[in-house]
Amino acid sequence: MIKYFLIFSILIINSSFSIPAGIVKKADKVIAKFYDVENFKKEVIRIPQEINELTKSEFGDENFFKITSENTFLGYGYIGSGRSKAATFDYLVLFDSELVITKSKVLVYREEYGGEISSKRWLKQFDGKSTKSDELRYNEDIIPISGATISVRAMTQSMNDLLKSLALIEQKNIL
Amino acid sequence: MKKIIFFVAVMGISSSFAQNINDTIPEDSRYVNSAQRLLSQNQGITLGAYGEITYNQPESDNGELDIQRMVVLLGYNFNNKVQFISEIEFEHVEEVFVEQAFINYSVADNVSLRGGLMLVPMGIVNEYHEPTTFNGTERPAIDGNIVPTTWREIGVGVSGRIPAVSLGYQAYIFNGFKSTVSDNEGGAIGLLKGSNGLRGGRQKGIQSTVDSPTLSTKLDYYGLPGLRIGLAGYFGKTQAEDEIESLEGSTIGISMIGLDARYRYKKFSARGSFIYASLDDTKAYNDLTGKDLGSALRGYYVEAAYNLLATSAKQKLVAFTRYENYDTHDKTDGIPSNDAYNRTDITTGLSYHIAPGVVVKGDYQFRDNKTEDGNVKNRLNFGIGVWF
Repeated sequence: MIKYFLIFSILIINSSFSIPAGIVKKADKVIAKFYDVENFKKEVIRIPQEINELTKSEFGDENFFKITSENTFLGYGYIGSGRSKAATFDYLVLFDSELVITKSKVLVYREEYGGEISSKRWLKQFDGKSTKSDELRYNEDIIPISGATISVRAMTQSMNDLLKSLALIEQKNIL
Repeated sequence: MKKIIFFVAVMGISSSFAQNINDTIPEDSRYVNSAQRLLSQNQGITLGAYGEITYNQPESDNGELDIQRMVVLLGYNFNNKVQFISEIEFEHVEEVFVEQAFINYSVADNVSLRGGLMLVPMGIVNEYHEPTTFNGTERPAIDGNIVPTTWREIGVGVSGRIPAVSLGYQAYIFNGFKSTVSDNEGGAIGLLKGSNGLRGGRQKGIQSTVDSPTLSTKLDYYGLPGLRIGLAGYFGKTQAEDEIESLEGSTIGISMIGLDARYRYKKFSARGSFIYASLDDTKAYNDLTGKDLGSALRGYYVEAAYNLLATSAKQKLVAFTRYENYDTHDKTDGIPSNDAYNRTDITTGLSYHIAPGVVVKGDYQFRDNKTEDGNVKNRLNFGIGVWF
């Protein structure tokens, strides 16, 4: 009985790891608009568990994918989650074929304060950064926003973690 | 008018400095894995607090040690869209207040409806009042005497952002200040007075009298790097109980506007705020109650700060100077203007951020007013502040 329960719980936990449909839908909208395509395919890149454990960013949610449209490779996409003061926020990062950031977008922000990080203009600071970039330093490379310090730091940290994690994945020749 | 021009000029100059903000995220909590995410995301309890312990020592006078406030933040996420947020405050240890208690309902991306006891968005400190977010042991005096921080009332409204243009907006219908209470002899006792303007009229959600609604709005623009600008407005009448409502002067009209700016560039930071409130029917109010309420309140401050430690350091040691001028008798109607209410404070000192969320403050305040002897005692302040 305990065994069944255990299997059952693992199933539940596993199945809840994939991204909620609402978030996926929002990400799809951003992708379609950014590449100016109506139809595109997302091909999940599966990162082996042992490598996922080494990376700071999470890759076990079917949240890292190749984007193609009519057999043309458009780039990579990553959906992640960061933590502001008391809640999490979800974001999408798009990369070109060389893993250079081309677009980032906050998909859902859930807290009373700090939502300023959704600003299109502020997020533009991450464009052009890649796995070869130096670590982004808060208040040096990334301009702070008054009243949203915690979220600005959290987003900067998320981006650093993501770029470092992708560098490791590149190194392991998984892509 | 000259003063306004001066203020704008100073703001312009000081924009080459920058704004002070603070870092309050525990190092570890930036990292969450999926399992933690499942547990923490979108539902559950949020617990936090902030507090200030202060020491004020006026020149040749008694010093005071005080736990000014200890505030417990309690929130609950019912689901992805519905949250409850509250702050319960213990002021000077023995008084209990509710500072905020409202439901936030996200009706769309970046748009929320809110209802309950909420902060009135005006200036900087009323909304961002945690001790690690401002310099100086004491809050700026205009955020007390002109904007009656912590100014909160019960109401409903909308709060949102437009990411494409880096604009935040808020609009609320609030219950207003209470200006008078019945003296039970056919007359009225006034709650508003010359020395601190509207402060005595805050109802704070305590069995508050409701009579006519007030409108509060704020726009925040954060599209220029390092700069954040706010424009706020508050309009409406004060409240009075039905039995004295018909007395002439039992209520007054309020139109308040506020402009604020915060800027930050690496080790420099600067901020400033300008507030102007025009009050109607103060002559009738003063005649009825025997008070000395001014017909216009005005105040501004500018502050420049510099972090003395390396930007890469975990700690910050911020040296700052703030210049404030405010007058609760900027204009009067039918009563003489009291120059003692026209005040200038210069505050200079240090904020030592030992860790994100913990600050030790020390400063000296040169205080003055427009009277001939200008007799306001200067004072030395020390404080400890936390926020988590």
